[in-house]
Amino acid sequence: MARENIYVGLEIGTSKICAVVAEARNDGTLKVVGVGSVPARGVRKGEIVDFETAKRCVHDAIVDAEEKSDVEISEVYLGITGSHIRSFNNRGVVVLEEGREEIDEQDLDDVRTNAREVSLPMEDCILHTIIQHYYVDGQNGVLNPVGLFGKKLEADFHIVYGIRTRIQNAIRCVKELELEPADVTINSFATAQAVLEKNQKQLGAIVIDIGGGTTDFVVYVDGAVKQSGVLAVGGDHVTNDISIGLKIPTARAEKLKIDEGNVTLGTAFPGETIQLKDETGFAGREIERESLNQIIHARLQESLTIVKRQIEADQNLHYVGAGVFITGGCSQIRGLEHLASDIFGMPVTMARALPMAGVTSAFENPQFSTALGLVKYAHLAQMDRPVAGGLIKNAFQRIRGIFRN
Amino acid sequence: MVQLNRQYDRENNTGEPIHVKVVGVGGAGSNILDRVMLDGIDAADIVAINTDVQSLTASVAAHKVQIGRNLTRGLGSGGDPELGYAAAEEATDEIRSVLQGGTVIFVCSGLGGGTGSGAAPYVSMIAKEENALVLGFVAVPFSFEGRRRCAQAEASLARLRSVCDAVVCFENDRMAEITLPRMAIHEAFAAADLTISQSIRSVTGVLQRPGLLHIGFDDICSVLRNGDARALFGYGEAEGENRALDALGKALKNPLMNRGALLEETYHAIVHICGGTNVTLGEVQIIMEELNRHINDQTQLFMGIGIETRMGNRLSVSILSSLGNGAEKPAVQPVQRTVRPVEPQTTTTFSEIKPEAWTPSVQPDPAAPKPVAHEQQHHVAPTERTPERAPDELMLPPIEPENPVRAPVAKTEPKSILPAPAKSQPSAPAKKAEAKQESLQFEPISRGRFEKSEPTIIDGQDLDVPTFLRKNVRVR
Repeated sequence: MARENIYVGLEIGTSKICAVVAEARNDGTLKVVGVGSVPARGVRKGEIVDFETAKRCVHDAIVDAEEKSDVEISEVYLGITGSHIRSFNNRGVVVLEEGREEIDEQDLDDVRTNAREVSLPMEDCILHTIIQHYYVDGQNGVLNPVGLFGKKLEADFHIVYGIRTRIQNAIRCVKELELEPADVTINSFATAQAVLEKNQKQLGAIVIDIGGGTTDFVVYVDGAVKQSGVLAVGGDHVTNDISIGLKIPTARAEKLKIDEGNVTLGTAFPGETIQLKDETGFAGREIERESLNQIIHARLQESLTIVKRQIEADQNLHYVGAGVFITGGCSQIRGLEHLASDIFGMPVTMARALPMAGVTSAFENPQFSTALGLVKYAHLAQMDRPVAGGLIKNAFQRIRGIFRN
Repeated sequence: MVQLNRQYDRENNTGEPIHVKVVGVGGAGSNILDRVMLDGIDAADIVAINTDVQSLTASVAAHKVQIGRNLTRGLGSGGDPELGYAAAEEATDEIRSVLQGGTVIFVCSGLGGGTGSGAAPYVSMIAKEENALVLGFVAVPFSFEGRRRCAQAEASLARLRSVCDAVVCFENDRMAEITLPRMAIHEAFAAADLTISQSIRSVTGVLQRPGLLHIGFDDICSVLRNGDARALFGYGEAEGENRALDALGKALKNPLMNRGALLEETYHAIVHICGGTNVTLGEVQIIMEELNRHINDQTQLFMGIGIETRMGNRLSVSILSSLGNGAEKPAVQPVQRTVRPVEPQTTTTFSEIKPEAWTPSVQPDPAAPKPVAHEQQHHVAPTERTPERAPDELMLPPIEPENPVRAPVAKTEPKSILPAPAKSQPSAPAKKAEAKQESLQFEPISRGRFEKSEPTIIDGQDLDVPTFLRKNVRVR
């Protein structure tokens, strides 16, 4: 029996697929009741490339979560990522007709619709229209304009869009498993809900989620999403680089990265080697530690620099007060904190999801930030309608819209 | 073949600049010319030839030739190809004088009407006699324009094929697929003209631009000369961080390309990349790798690279190819460059057969094989066909009276001709192997497990390639 106030966040990641089941309690907090996770197959760079295999993995993850939480899952909040996801900021304007001076709910909808009226490529569709700020007759700092008097309502939105068919793939995967996607959201936005506190959003913060196949980032300025983006480079690339550079199989490279990898250069003694042990009993080869670190360093430094450049290009870097929050599976690599703080020139926190009640092991692992963020997002969207701004109301329409065309 | 010398060594005029003339015949032809002029073309003479004075005066072409002064008295040819032909014949000297000196002559025309269908083959023939490389760019009418018109177009097309070095057909029906049905009719036609104009520009551009890797006539011929050719053209230009992929994307977006899907079916394709001095090997590689996804294993790819400082930071990609039934592909040797003057006798044959040439009404349905006499049928048989296309005769084979039959039969015959490619295959693999060797092979840069996934390219760098390789970090 699905309980009334149960939220399930499903993240179809490149390295793992995980479903987090959480229960909203009466005091307004969330309790995580179960986490199901399986290694992903059929997913590359955050997108499904082998539908049937990926579907089977999603099924396994859901079953795992159901067993652990003792909840029958029928509805999920789905996270989306991929290199096709893009975003921009746009302002909508609504002028109240003659004789009417009070702004009502309808005007909020209108201003949102107005902001969405931009010409996107045919194959794209809008995923999110996230409210940044309202202005009434040019006056800023309006938190909720409903009920205020004014002639002109303006609003800034952060609009996220992506290629329709590629978003559909993930949705269809869920639908074919008899699950209802309650809403879809971009991963970076969800992650931010999990790792950032409200005051950090106000101060301005960058959240970077370095996952297996993608690096998702979002920039908060003045409590609003100012920029978001996806770079289709992640931990898989690090593994691939190691595999090519040291000429070892991918699985071995992955293990080496986790066990020995360090992003800081110059930490190894000259000539220090790592003995590669072979499962078959062979005395494997020796690998120079510094070489391994160099490969990892080159890749992660490049990825973070690209993210920084993109944020810099939109001139948002100076408005970030709370610093950079790095999460995701790949953030566990040693020394990343220092590298990132060198690159960004501001405090860097290795973040994980903020504690909630329930399964504590989930928060200690930055791999689950996004999935936990999804349930937080779901909870937020339900609880805090004005902030989430009709996200839920539009969710069904939106999903239907994605499929209709 | 791709040649590494800077100067294209055409036997007849080594060292001479390539002189391009674009000739528009008939109303549709001059529309195409207008478009070409509007878009701008480097160093090319634009010549309009028409019976209709009104249309001629409206044309922006630099050289204008009115044909059929006495026959039509400045009016159109009324949809009668015979009249169009006679009109052109009347002005032979004038036509010859404007065509003189051209090395490459494009004959643009819309087939199906009078002047275009009638005069274009004649003009092409004179151009051929002037020892030029003649490329026909023709638009074939919409099927709704009536069978008669289509049949006239077919007959004229067959005639053009026998005269020109290569004929590229732009099927209006197909162009219509790319424009929206609710689009204004003049816009639809303008879109068609634009496509033809772009194609002409890309061919001239490819020929005229000095190149590190130059593409010559022979390459263009072997790509465009391909039986019932349906042209595939694409041109894209871009600047900025991702210019390589953007330019290629634009080129593939060209309606004739169908997003590159049709490239899969081609046998030859030319890719010409042009840019300023800052074109990088990486960019060329990105383009070629991306393009290689679109073509099949058998496709012979000719690559040309041009460096022009005036391109600045822009990068352009032109793709030329044609989609044929492939029947005649291997038989045609692209080395047909020596152009010998045509014997005067040929001209007489040409005009002699004129009366029967335009009798499409005899044969109401161009799609249905016409009941032809036995020996005629024999003439079209594949075995006979191949030698007919042999280089030596390709210039201007004396056209037998039964020739008009060829077009319709050829059109419906592809299935019966199909064995032909298999038969002539021996020449093809040899050529392919050669091309494989000549086309620039890059040192394989491994993308490892991302080999087959969509590339992630930022600032012109393929991020799937290990960073340490791109940054030349020495790793032991």
